[in-house]
Amino acid sequence: MFLVFALITLLGALGMLLQRNIIVAGLCMVAAFFGVAGLFVLLANPVAAALQIIVYTGAILVLVLFVIMMLNSHEEEPAETPHPIQRWLSVALSLALGVGAVKLVLASRGVQQLAVQGAALPRGTTLEGVGAVLFAGHLLGFEVAGLMLLAAMVGAVALTKRNL
Amino acid sequence: MTGMDAILHGGLQGYLVVALLLFAIGLASVLLRRTLLLQFMGVELMLNAANVALLAFARYRGGDLQGTVFYLFIIAVAACEAAVGLALIIGLYRHRDTTDSDRAASLKQ
Repeated sequence: MFLVFALITLLGALGMLLQRNIIVAGLCMVAAFFGVAGLFVLLANPVAAALQIIVYTGAILVLVLFVIMMLNSHEEEPAETPHPIQRWLSVALSLALGVGAVKLVLASRGVQQLAVQGAALPRGTTLEGVGAVLFAGHLLGFEVAGLMLLAAMVGAVALTKRNL
Repeated sequence: MTGMDAILHGGLQGYLVVALLLFAIGLASVLLRRTLLLQFMGVELMLNAANVALLAFARYRGGDLQGTVFYLFIIAVAACEAAVGLALIIGLYRHRDTTDSDRAASLKQ
């Protein structure tokens, strides 16, 4: 089951990277986000999985697809000046980062120890537990997050409206 | 579980490997693509990779609730970023009639 969701996530992300058409790339992102939500379910965290689907696929990606359709330029524009060296450097950097970090994780003794210890620990995250921790210990952060969302909303309206 | 076994059956290492590959793909799409919308989606992908790693560690610490609370704050910030970032892209498109980041290299009109 883990392998299925991991493959959905990674193939969706790869499709986004390689796809020419921007709308199809956006739909590949939807697949990737659903895969991530599946991984959260497997991590015994249904709260995060529900939030992932509601916020990422439900709000952020719908907004992105809406903007893509509003801008009516669905293909990537041809490059003004080609930068072959920069492109090859970026590919090399991403590959080096990915391969190196994966090797580091697989070789790490600490991660291995945590994996063995953690598999035995009790699991399961409930909405009650998350709510209790959020409102008991992080009330100020919660209020600040609300204020930040309001500020972002006002900022977005001010940026896009032609004449206020 | 060690090494390949953990990746195939979903141990902690498996989740971390998925998170790292997701981060690398997001970084590659920010660096390689020229359309601002695709670069924006790459940034979202990198944020998601961090979330997968965070919640995997929270689960292997025995269902740590602080991890989920932190995840809640991260997606609040991601939503703000999406709103303001997309508004900026729309503003750029109105002024320059392009969403190509190479063509938007200077602040002058």
